[in-house]
Amino acid sequence: MKIRWVTILLLLAIAGLGAGSWGLYQRLAFGLQPVAFGSHVPWGLWVSLYLFFLGLSAGAFLVTSLAYVFGLKRFENIGPLAAFTVLVALACEAQFILLDLGTMHRAFYRFFLSPSFSSLMTWMLVFFSAMGALYAVKTYVLLKSLRPSDRATATRNAAMVRRLSLLSLPVGLLFYGTNGAFFAVIAGRPLWNDALTPVLFVVAALLSGGALVTLLTYIFRRASDSAQPAVRKALCLELGNVLLGLLILFTLLEALQIFIGYKTARTDLLASLDTMLFGPAMWSFWIVHVLFGTITPLLLLASRAKTPKSVAWACFLIVASFIAVRYNFIVPDLSIQSLPGLDAAFVHPRLSPDYAPNLMEWLVSIWVVSSGLLMFLLGVRFLPVTSDTLGGERHV
Amino acid sequence: MSVSFPAEDPLVRMHRDLKRALTKGLDQTKWVMGIDLARCIGCHACTVACVSENKLPPGVVYRPVIEEEVGVYPNVRRRFLPRPCMQCENPPCVSVCPVTATWKNKQGVTVIDYNRCIGCRYCLVACPYSARTSDFGDWYNSGAEASSQALVGRAAAAKGYESNPAAEYSRAWPPRGKGSPVGNARKCHFCLHRLEVGALPACVSSCVGRATFFGDSEDHDSLIFELLGSPRISRLKEELGTKPAVFYLA
Repeated sequence: MKIRWVTILLLLAIAGLGAGSWGLYQRLAFGLQPVAFGSHVPWGLWVSLYLFFLGLSAGAFLVTSLAYVFGLKRFENIGPLAAFTVLVALACEAQFILLDLGTMHRAFYRFFLSPSFSSLMTWMLVFFSAMGALYAVKTYVLLKSLRPSDRATATRNAAMVRRLSLLSLPVGLLFYGTNGAFFAVIAGRPLWNDALTPVLFVVAALLSGGALVTLLTYIFRRASDSAQPAVRKALCLELGNVLLGLLILFTLLEALQIFIGYKTARTDLLASLDTMLFGPAMWSFWIVHVLFGTITPLLLLASRAKTPKSVAWACFLIVASFIAVRYNFIVPDLSIQSLPGLDAAFVHPRLSPDYAPNLMEWLVSIWVVSSGLLMFLLGVRFLPVTSDTLGGERHV
Repeated sequence: MSVSFPAEDPLVRMHRDLKRALTKGLDQTKWVMGIDLARCIGCHACTVACVSENKLPPGVVYRPVIEEEVGVYPNVRRRFLPRPCMQCENPPCVSVCPVTATWKNKQGVTVIDYNRCIGCRYCLVACPYSARTSDFGDWYNSGAEASSQALVGRAAAAKGYESNPAAEYSRAWPPRGKGSPVGNARKCHFCLHRLEVGALPACVSSCVGRATFFGDSEDHDSLIFELLGSPRISRLKEELGTKPAVFYLA
């Protein structure tokens, strides 16, 4: 079973890298010239996918916080898997943002030579680096603690993991909150400019990341799980309960944002909400996000007869549909003209409020996602992140 | 019924004001623009002059003119709103730049260091007037035939215009396609390179209806200072607190 899953995913990753390499060549050879976005919708698919992976990286944050900060020992079982997942997600985030920059090479030194600490983007990089460093060390220590060792070493490793987890709690909250504040501080963007946005970002990140880790726990522990079916079942069901709470909270916050938006009746905010709910991509909101990403997982997770399999299906739906949440956050607000009639004042495709990703953007995205998948599979193959021995000893 | 003609062309007076400002020293000036909407005839000459002066590539525009139709037939009018960069006193585009590639200079103009910009486009998103555009590296002559006309051919002629960059910020930029400003954010800079040599911004000089005024708001003898006292004056999106240096006479 394990071989089949891994083989299928490995083939998918290799095929994705092959197909995506054409898009990557276009991007590296011709810069941003082949992309479909322009000056009025300056961020598109790649920034949406950055946010998507940002959310996925929060899975480890959630799980390790539950296990090592809040003392829910059962979650220690999936600690290494979760910590490794966050590293892969961060690597994908970095690729998407670098590829989105007009002069990519300058990012490698400009942030150090002339940083501006008034910009939330600088703080995003600071917290991104801190998260990367913390989780790299945490993954290393968690993997090291799996090796047979004397009691003193095990205690030392456990203490180190707890300290790192305690440290990553504020860093993680700041990282995900800063990403929300990054959008919230833009006064000219009606949907983003809301004190609720950073909170929504933290909850969204925990929800999508938690769903991914739960799904991976189900898939990979199922594959290697001859000894501890009860542990796996309880773990999936407990994570399912946590996700149910997060999904309800996220839905409430989102509904609140839409409700307040419509009640304020601000013209620009209404235009933005109308584009999201009734615009050309309304199917992505109502069908992908609401039907498949919210209602169906809610029913599956709230069911009294839920099983690890149904929880896994709910998680799959949440993860797969979350790209629609990110896309619907980014693009509708950008496509609203800051000054009515501006799009017709000087006509050019780069100055159009309409945006749909083109083939090149999709191919680049496929390449990045495939690279992440390959990294993950290699990690699962060569690192003991899904070992059955996990959770057998006391970490903290 | 008598008709009164202006004593002199406003351009002549603005040139005189500019000369005075240059004598005083650029560091002691605050450049301000005024646009009389009642005088704008919507000819787009300012847009074209700006594109030509700064050799802007496709999809990059510093001063579009927004057209709006108001009223109900038969009482219908067209209204025109030129939109340069507002050179805000409190510019949202500056504080969001992660690498200090954009700032306000001493004359109150928000400038960009093309060699510092990483092309993240956060400033484009932050500008409430959409006054910034990104240079995606497009060419006017891409796809043109090499020699479709009798003499030099379309591509050669276009290349002659495009590949020699404009002297924005009074600097010599590399030929187009070989680095900055391709991949960067770009915006109106009140033609600082022209002001330094005593010429008014291209949009002011080219304004057919004499609807665009420009000068030093610190100079109390200047035409722009007189206009700033008009009861017709307003600024775009005042509620955002950006305090634009571009005024409209409505």
